[in-house]
Amino acid sequence: MKTANDLFKEFKILSVSEFFKKNADMLGYTGKIRSMTILVHEMVTNALDACEEAHILPEIRVEIDHRGDSHYEISVEDNATGIPLKFIPDVFGKMLAGSKAHRNMQSRGQQGIGVSGAVMYSQVTTGQPAVIISSTGEEMWEVKMNLDLQKNAGKIIEKNKINDNGWRGTKIVIEAKDVTYNKSKYSPYNYLRMSSIANPHARIEFIEPDGTKILFPRSSKTLPKSPKIMKLHPRGMSTDDLLVMAKNCRARKLGSFLRSELARVSRKKAEEIERVSGVSLDKNVSRLTWNDAERVVNAFKKIDFMAPSSEGLIPIGEENIIKGLSLINPEFSVAITRAPKTYRGGIPFIIEVGLAYGGKSEPGIEIIRYANRSPLVFDQGGCVINEAVKSIDWRRYRVNLESTPLTVFVNVTSTHIPYTSAGKQAIAMEEEIFNEVRFGIMETCRGLKRYMDSKRRAYRKKQRIDSLLKYAPETSKAISRLTGRDTDKVKNLFIKLIEKKYA
Amino acid sequence: MKKTEEKLTEFGESIIKQLEKGRDPYIKITQRSLGNVKYDDVKGFLVMGNKYSKRYYFNIAHTRKFMQTLLIASYCRQLISENKHAGIRELYYALKHTLEGTKKENTFEDQDESNPIIEDLELSLNILREELNLTADRRGYIYGDIVIKDGEDQFNCSKLGRGGWAVPGNVEEIEFKRVNAKYILVVETAAMADRLIEEKFAQKNKALIVACQGQAPRGVRRLIKRIRKEAKLPVLVFTDGDPYGWYIYSTIKQGSINLAYLSKRLSVPDSKFVGMTIDDIEMYGLENVTEKLKETDIKRIKEELEYPWFKTKDWQRQLKLALKKGVRIEQQALANKSLSFVADKYLPEKIKNEMFLS
Repeated sequence: MKTANDLFKEFKILSVSEFFKKNADMLGYTGKIRSMTILVHEMVTNALDACEEAHILPEIRVEIDHRGDSHYEISVEDNATGIPLKFIPDVFGKMLAGSKAHRNMQSRGQQGIGVSGAVMYSQVTTGQPAVIISSTGEEMWEVKMNLDLQKNAGKIIEKNKINDNGWRGTKIVIEAKDVTYNKSKYSPYNYLRMSSIANPHARIEFIEPDGTKILFPRSSKTLPKSPKIMKLHPRGMSTDDLLVMAKNCRARKLGSFLRSELARVSRKKAEEIERVSGVSLDKNVSRLTWNDAERVVNAFKKIDFMAPSSEGLIPIGEENIIKGLSLINPEFSVAITRAPKTYRGGIPFIIEVGLAYGGKSEPGIEIIRYANRSPLVFDQGGCVINEAVKSIDWRRYRVNLESTPLTVFVNVTSTHIPYTSAGKQAIAMEEEIFNEVRFGIMETCRGLKRYMDSKRRAYRKKQRIDSLLKYAPETSKAISRLTGRDTDKVKNLFIKLIEKKYA
Repeated sequence: MKKTEEKLTEFGESIIKQLEKGRDPYIKITQRSLGNVKYDDVKGFLVMGNKYSKRYYFNIAHTRKFMQTLLIASYCRQLISENKHAGIRELYYALKHTLEGTKKENTFEDQDESNPIIEDLELSLNILREELNLTADRRGYIYGDIVIKDGEDQFNCSKLGRGGWAVPGNVEEIEFKRVNAKYILVVETAAMADRLIEEKFAQKNKALIVACQGQAPRGVRRLIKRIRKEAKLPVLVFTDGDPYGWYIYSTIKQGSINLAYLSKRLSVPDSKFVGMTIDDIEMYGLENVTEKLKETDIKRIKEELEYPWFKTKDWQRQLKLALKKGVRIEQQALANKSLSFVADKYLPEKIKNEMFLS
């Protein structure tokens, strides 16, 4: 018989990195094409965020090189501020590094795994270090680094100071195996195309493995506003959330804690919470019990609060969506930014919908989905956006699902996107989000219908004119034979009248 | 003849005038439907009402027909000025060509497109087809002791062999030099007319036999009308015992819906119907040689029941009897008795006893 000690000898606490090493599929690294696109996604997201935080119009350069069987080198370069040497291991080597996680703020990535996950993937498939070249304008380093999976930290194994030649920014180069490149809907190519549409302020250059150079140009010169950290709204909180916050706050009494740390809690509301929950506002927050917290959270559900502020949410904006869609070169485009709404009682979100008709759109509907501007390429089937698009009676808007060349753009902006899994490629079926996407599509569709109707009218008018003109020469000849008048003069009478009626 | 040319010129000028005023040009087209036809029971024939529709150039549904109407008018004007005559099929081919600037659209795709427009023009301009120098597709022949002068030829229609004289589309110019007959017998089918000729029916009964070969064409109807008027011979009609045969009789008697405007020139209101009738089946023991009515026959009989000129007691009874028995009877069914039965017994007996349906 084994003792507890024997058993626990084998037991060791997995570091976060190790956990993910064993569960790479949870991060989306499943399959050769998908792994490739996820790598590009993580690296590009990191680059875009770096630029925007520094208020710099992004210039991103992505290059993929073929190295061997299922073996590629991927590099992504940005023009942001660069990273001081001592922060490089943290930025690229630490998962849940804390810069984004647990902040109630809209951002492309959420779990804080992002680019370190890409470095990890490289390391476990090739054993090669990642190469980071970064220049802050003051000094430039080329660093080779590994992940210490057990310590959840980056480890520099080689560093060289080099001359920056006036360049500033960061470039990360990794190698990866078990990946492949093609130009399908799921490829880095489509991912970057979609990124360009949702980020018209970015200039993205892409070099494919065969050397083909593709440029997604910048179509807008305005940087998106920086999102703000927002206080949590009472309706979006769980008992656990409340307890964790209570333990880490500066306030001493429950009353001041609620008013200072939560959104939309006034003195009057705090008193109402006390009345409904029966927990005294004078209670010392550090002594708040699970039971107290539960009563307070239950009270939250019974009290009416002002809707949470959406101040911290930065949508793309109608004008910029249309600029982004101009990449498709559409014949007609329309976009709408809906008013902020909440789901699960208190999490604010904004839906944006854009439609692009004609141009480079292929026949049939193409849905392009985004969460906080970041393209969602995989798992479309399980996504609330897909469900909402399917629920529309498209015929009403003169759209044929198979033949109308239409691109449907949907962006969900929120401090917290409810993904279906850590792979972050599909948004869960939240009823409020579903309805908003639906309303957004219907609103843009009304514009599309007007366009389609006027197009149809113009087409019919042209057909009518063509047909009237078609019979004019013969009719004129006949009239001229009847009357002896000049054929051309009669014909001109017809043409003048046709022009007058259809001018 | 000058008058027709003037009318055609005016027609063209009227379109130009409308165009010059900036108006959507139109052509007035008299309606040729049951709704615009009236049975005048004093005169005993169908007359055209004055309902018309307008054919607009700027109505896309009309534009093509508008062009076709003018094409036909201009062609007729050319015929008149060149003093030539053309058949309506010749007109169709003369005018048919691909439209300028189109790949395969023709001015006329089918003769069914040009024929009705000729009738439109006759009505709208009040000009007869004959005056437009157009001849109808000819059909029908006459056999019997009548001497006709046609241009430089003069002949007796009983001396032209078993085929008789084929009636041309236009019989305005012919003259009747001598008529030696007691009546005209109009026969629906050529086969029956041939039978009667072979049986010497014309000689034995002093009859003129006219085969109309289906619905009586204009030439045949005008010929019958002229002989009735000029030689004062009664007209007897002998058709199949079915709704189509009866309508042939009614057309000869009071005109057709389509050509109601010509009734005065073409119809013979006092013509008599000899047969076949549904009563003949029982009277002559023809029960075994009837044909069943088809859906379309029944529909046509029901329409005829509603025509004012079929509203007589005898005809209503006859039509209802056909519906009740559900059968029709052909002229040639009489051959069931014997080939000569029709010539020796059926017709002489019915005519002698004036067993007519009116």
